[in-house]
Amino acid sequence: MTDQSVASRPAFPLSPAVMTGLLPFVVVLTAWALAPALSDIPAYKLPSPAKVWSTFTSMTLDGSLLSEIWHSLQRLATGYILGNLIAIPLGLAIALNRAVAETLTPVLSFFQSIAGIAWVPLAIIWFGVGQGSVLFVIANTIFFASIYSTVIGVQSIPQVLYRAALCHGASRWDIVTSVVIPGALVQILVGLRTSMAYGWRALVAAEMIAGTNGIGYMTLEAVQWYQTEIVILGMILIGILWLALDFLIFRPIERVTVKRWGLLS
Amino acid sequence: MTDGTSSQFRIGAKFAPSRAQLRGALGILVVFVAWQISVWVIDLPAYFYPSPADVASAFVELTRKGILPSYIADSAWRYVAGVATGLSLGVVFGLLIGLSRFWSRLLGPIINFFYAIVEVAWIPLLVIWIGYGFNTILIAISYVVFFPVLYNTLTGVQTVQKVLINAVRTLGASRRQVLTSVILPSALPNIITGFRVGAGFAFRGLIFAEMIAAGSGLGFLIFEGATTRQTDRVVVGMIMMGLLWLALDRLFLRPVEVATIERWGLVRAKGEGM
Repeated sequence: MTDQSVASRPAFPLSPAVMTGLLPFVVVLTAWALAPALSDIPAYKLPSPAKVWSTFTSMTLDGSLLSEIWHSLQRLATGYILGNLIAIPLGLAIALNRAVAETLTPVLSFFQSIAGIAWVPLAIIWFGVGQGSVLFVIANTIFFASIYSTVIGVQSIPQVLYRAALCHGASRWDIVTSVVIPGALVQILVGLRTSMAYGWRALVAAEMIAGTNGIGYMTLEAVQWYQTEIVILGMILIGILWLALDFLIFRPIERVTVKRWGLLS
Repeated sequence: MTDGTSSQFRIGAKFAPSRAQLRGALGILVVFVAWQISVWVIDLPAYFYPSPADVASAFVELTRKGILPSYIADSAWRYVAGVATGLSLGVVFGLLIGLSRFWSRLLGPIINFFYAIVEVAWIPLLVIWIGYGFNTILIAISYVVFFPVLYNTLTGVQTVQKVLINAVRTLGASRRQVLTSVILPSALPNIITGFRVGAGFAFRGLIFAEMIAAGSGLGFLIFEGATTRQTDRVVVGMIMMGLLWLALDRLFLRPVEVATIERWGLVRAKGEGM
């Protein structure tokens, strides 16, 4: 559904402005710390920053936090690799034949629009609560986001390039390696990035509903016991983990592609 | 603005399907046939793997009882209210941050941080704070729409050609007139693109929020169907979700986007990675 457009994030100007930028964080933290004293919000609704911090340290020390994070990341990586490993070659194969591509495009866009969270209940029926369901949902989400992007990428290659390559005596294999793959690469990378964003949401959501461990499970499970400090801790970690994934994996990919192929658009 | 929509309708009115459309219809047919055959071959209980016929009869039953229409109406209202709120806030903050270096420095980092906390992660906290129901879902959906709209508005504002602003100013325009007659129109294609990206994420967000925090709606239908083992209802909900999204995207969002881009110029999407 969000296929052809580019996945890049505008950077805010940072260098001289770090202090100004930190100010709202300070304000939020202060307001959060003072809120229980100034209003009658009960502690179960808004635990103090100190409480969240002590939960963080104690869960880090007993290793439970790391194990939840590890479970989540492992699952995300498995689903991501599995989904893309099937989606990209299959997408290329489908798109190579015009008739096949035209036949499957509506089906793929339909599945892409229900892919993800809506599969969780069905996954629970099929695989039971736990690892299988969550993995199915992540891989499914990533598969459909990625394959649709790949197919669109191949279809957007101008016919003229095929003809030019054929005129120069290219074999079928040459066409695949020197026209199709480079031509579709930008869309494939967009798919890799978009599918990660969808996959990440699907991971957190699926763990909440169908998981038995992981960061999403931890966050929603805590609601049952009114352990709001764990809920807030979970949220902050979900944010930090995404920033880390983005920074470590996607920024570098983007930089390389922008350098090599010009703007991602 | 209406150009794109009317051309869509024109295609529908003439209805001379192209070869690609015929093949596409064939593809959908093949999926249904394969589904039905696999039901016969696999031969599992209907709650585990319902057949197209089961799903069709569940659809008829849900429609006749009025459950499906009222759920769709609930979902639609939540969606529209949430998207409208997120869109307005996104545009306002996008303009603020795009037009003022101070606000950009002040709010930029914290917005980037909150952007990383996906709406899915907010729902547990919102449930504790507000409880189940409309308000929680409204906030979650506005939250999803806010960020892509904000980032795209920002890009739009930052890429306004300075020469246009100078031209209007030399003609004696006030700051307000510069905003309404130069900046907003040239940022509009970006805003619309952000709107479409946000609307897409919001649709999934809605389904999830309804699974956890609602007692009606399509997400609730899908979730409740699974807990009561009425799997045919789950599948009805999923198919309705897919169809509604496709209808919304193809008949409204894309035509509007295309029309805006045709009218007001080129655009590149920002902030879609999330």
